[in-house]
Amino acid sequence: MNQMAHPNSDQRQPMLKVSHLTHRVSLETDTLTILQGVNLEINRGESVAIVGRSGSGKTTLLGLLAGLDTPSEGKVELDGSVISDLSEDARAQLRARRVGFVFQSFQLLPALTALENVMLPLELAGIEQPEARARELLERVGLGERLGHTPRQLSGGEQQRVAIARAFASDPVVLFADEPTGNLDNRTGQSVSDLLMALNREQGTTLVMVTHDEQLAARCGRQFHIEAGELTEPGSAREAAD
Amino acid sequence: MVAAEKLMSVRRDWRERDVRVVLVALIIAVATVATIALFASQLQRTLVTSASSFLAADRQLEAENGREIPPEWMHEATRRGLETGRMIEFSTMVFGTGGFQLVSVKAVSDEYPLRGEIEFQASPDGTRTLASGGPAPGEVWINPRLLRLLELEIGDSLDVGSRSLTVSGLLIREPDGGFRLSALAPRVMMHVDDVPSTGVIQEGSRVEYVYLFAGEEPVLDEYHEWLKPQLHPSHEWEGVRDGETFSRSLQRAERFLLLGGSLAVLLASVAVAVASRQYSLSQRDTVALLKTLGLNGAGIGRLYLRRLGLWGLAGVVGGLLVALPLFWLLTRILSDVLERPVDFYLDPAALAPALLTALVSLFAFAYPPIRRLRQVPAMRVLRSQPGESGREAIPDIVVAILAVFGLVWLYAGELVLVVSLLGGLVLLLAVLGLVGWALMALLRHVKGGGSAWRLALVGLYRHRRASLSQMAVFSMTLMLAATLVLVRSSLLDDWQAQLPEDTPNHFLINISPGSVEEVSEYWQENGQPLSQLYPMVRGRLTELNGRPVKEAVSKDERINALNRELNLTWMASLPADNEIIEGAWFKEGQTEGVSVESQLAGRLGLQIGDRLTFTIGSAKVTEPVTSIRTVQWDSMKPNFYMAFPPNGGLTDMPATWITSFYLPDQGKQALNEFSRRFPTISVLEIDHIIERIQLIVGQVTRAIEAILALILAAALVVMAAVVSATLKDRQREGALLRTLGGRQSLLVRSTMMEFALLGGFAGLIGVAAAEAAVWALQYGMFEGSFQWHWPIVISVPLVSAMVLALFGRWQLGPVLNVSPMLLLRRLE
Repeated sequence: MNQMAHPNSDQRQPMLKVSHLTHRVSLETDTLTILQGVNLEINRGESVAIVGRSGSGKTTLLGLLAGLDTPSEGKVELDGSVISDLSEDARAQLRARRVGFVFQSFQLLPALTALENVMLPLELAGIEQPEARARELLERVGLGERLGHTPRQLSGGEQQRVAIARAFASDPVVLFADEPTGNLDNRTGQSVSDLLMALNREQGTTLVMVTHDEQLAARCGRQFHIEAGELTEPGSAREAAD
Repeated sequence: MVAAEKLMSVRRDWRERDVRVVLVALIIAVATVATIALFASQLQRTLVTSASSFLAADRQLEAENGREIPPEWMHEATRRGLETGRMIEFSTMVFGTGGFQLVSVKAVSDEYPLRGEIEFQASPDGTRTLASGGPAPGEVWINPRLLRLLELEIGDSLDVGSRSLTVSGLLIREPDGGFRLSALAPRVMMHVDDVPSTGVIQEGSRVEYVYLFAGEEPVLDEYHEWLKPQLHPSHEWEGVRDGETFSRSLQRAERFLLLGGSLAVLLASVAVAVASRQYSLSQRDTVALLKTLGLNGAGIGRLYLRRLGLWGLAGVVGGLLVALPLFWLLTRILSDVLERPVDFYLDPAALAPALLTALVSLFAFAYPPIRRLRQVPAMRVLRSQPGESGREAIPDIVVAILAVFGLVWLYAGELVLVVSLLGGLVLLLAVLGLVGWALMALLRHVKGGGSAWRLALVGLYRHRRASLSQMAVFSMTLMLAATLVLVRSSLLDDWQAQLPEDTPNHFLINISPGSVEEVSEYWQENGQPLSQLYPMVRGRLTELNGRPVKEAVSKDERINALNRELNLTWMASLPADNEIIEGAWFKEGQTEGVSVESQLAGRLGLQIGDRLTFTIGSAKVTEPVTSIRTVQWDSMKPNFYMAFPPNGGLTDMPATWITSFYLPDQGKQALNEFSRRFPTISVLEIDHIIERIQLIVGQVTRAIEAILALILAAALVVMAAVVSATLKDRQREGALLRTLGGRQSLLVRSTMMEFALLGGFAGLIGVAAAEAAVWALQYGMFEGSFQWHWPIVISVPLVSAMVLALFGRWQLGPVLNVSPMLLLRRLE
């Protein structure tokens, strides 16, 4: 497992450290607070689920953790870099090397084949021999026979498998998943989450997953609840105090 | 970078509908501009060649001082690869069996004519044939009238000075037989080498030496540049563009073609702008994903810039591939129309506008919305973000307007044209904003009506932003097309008005005062009444305010009218096509004063009240200038520089009378009879000249129509492109409506109504803007007057409503025949 760890990573450092994270959006008449004073630490190799209802702020939190957006206040540290202080370009660079994503709506490029979709992040990160690595991953997710198919020719479950293969392609240290089974039926969802968990373990990746599915959340090492922009960890000291 | 390469490949792009629209628009743009530029250049060459035959060459150098030009000048022309020829024109007496006659001789070299052909007849009953050269040495061709006047027959000899020449043919028409009243005497054509042996030309004789040049335009221009410093004021370099009669037609045709080209540029730009905006909107998700995968803003920028470059290349190559066969086809059509071969000549310079258009279209119209893709937030992959508000597009619009301004200015080279076109467009957008806003406010309150009707109105309201922008594009397209149609019809009407069917084609000159009545009666009896006869007195303008006129006028001004006798007249009323621009026409009973033609007045610097002295024979007449008037020189009617009042300064001067009238072909018999009865009256037949002018007008008209058809086709494709830009949304809605139980017929009716409404409104606004633009153009360029063009005002909105309704129906096709379930999945 260690051989998969990022060369720069320091095992003692937390992978993600969030302090006093607040996010607001300005509306026409007033300001809406979506996240309020969120603190969070996730260690290397952990799998964490953030559970909450629609509109609770979980997707916003995921976006901020992954550096897709910048917070109104507070700090996000990812693998030792304070990403909330980085420019968009620097964050993009960080994402290319260390972050992988799985989305609810798969987000595959319709014009590219399964193989090409998986090769894309490898090429963007400048990794050599992207095709061999992409083939290997697609075989691992059980799509070795469907390399030349475009997303339109694949079922929802198959598309999400391609997306998972793409997420792991560039050896990310953190994987962010946004409702990865949200668009799939129960059985397919189950097999996709099995695959995600298995790959996560194999690669030693830190997994941060946002879901409203308690069952899926239960498969992660730790669970957080988010409600009205506030994050709590059931069974933690703070929750006990409440 | 296989996947990334593929992501950016044109072939892959082609599979995306929006890119297809951009590429098709670009190909159409390049093809239209290239075809028009190529065709315009070809037409220009054809017209110039055709009009050149009126000079019998591309250029003429006239020396009126009775001296030949230095031989080096001709050597230089030959050295530069120009074809040359020469001729000598003079008047002399000739002697034949039946007496003698003053004739106008044209002695030509072997090369004459360099352009055009001589029409000649071997005998009075023979057929007319076209000859590519004049008579051989020792021979003459003469005007048929001279044959009668001198009682000659073919083969007889004619004495020119001390030389006897054999009459070997009848001269029917010479290519440069321009219309000059000074050349009234019958024509004799001989070989230039025979001239010295006639002994006619002496020191001081009034002889005109004319040198002919033909060749490539740039070489001719360079030669002229070389020649210019050496020319004497009495030398006149004449090109077809300077020729009085045809230059206006040519200039108008050229302007029209340029206008057409400019409109094509505008249409193309509109198409590219619309399609690329659609494309950039569709790319936002991909860009967000690429950013999530680690590509930064600069990387995105590079990626799309490269893509744009590839499109540009594909557009140019594709456009040229379309343009070349189209151009070839047009030249074939042109050949057929002109009944003479037109060579297929690819002018490389004509391709430059196409390349420039592609470049400007891409960077001023396609790039701005695509450039903004860099700013798409990565967060969009997780949650849909607000789209563009439209405010971001304002700088784009400014850039686009500036680019259009520059391009149109470059192509048309007319500030008036650019300003009126853009003024029209701005007006259009303002009106559109207002009307659109009012319309949408109105639609909100529409209740009642059948369900298809209501669905159509609701549809318009629901898509109000898309509808308004589509309406903007449609009305702009319709405005451009309508402008072109309107300008074309006013242009053609003007031409036809200029040379109507019954344009006078015969002149009667030298009618003695005693026979005026008899002549009038003769033509009255023969069904061709003469409308107006003018007295004509030959006289020279000699003094201006008591000073000799050549001293009074600046030496730089070389004024032909001062070097020869003028035709003076008197008349009671101003001819209908003349216009007083200064002073006043003679009052009834007024006997003092003279009215002067405006251009001559300008060159002489005449003011009302200046006193002009004319020498007529041995008498002198002095009169004050009382009015200055314009004259239609190309009206084919007698025109005069100087007009006196009846019983004024010309009373008792020896006058002959002149008139012009229209004689149809079948009236030639009456003409022959007339010549026999009135042998002293000169008949000048100019029907051939008129035929030639009408032929040229016809050529230009057809060419304009061909180009108009091309532009209208482009406009139609632009509209199709714009409609198909919202194809996906509309198909999804259609599928949804069907899923929710909407019947096919309801869907068809409501969609067709929605599009018909859109088209109708766009047509109304477009045609109103076109009228405004034409109004501005009329004043600035074509010197016409404004009027509403009701047929167009009514037909454009109707046709546009119908065409759009059909487009709407066509869009629905896939929705109607496929299961809604399948369609919704496909459109996911």
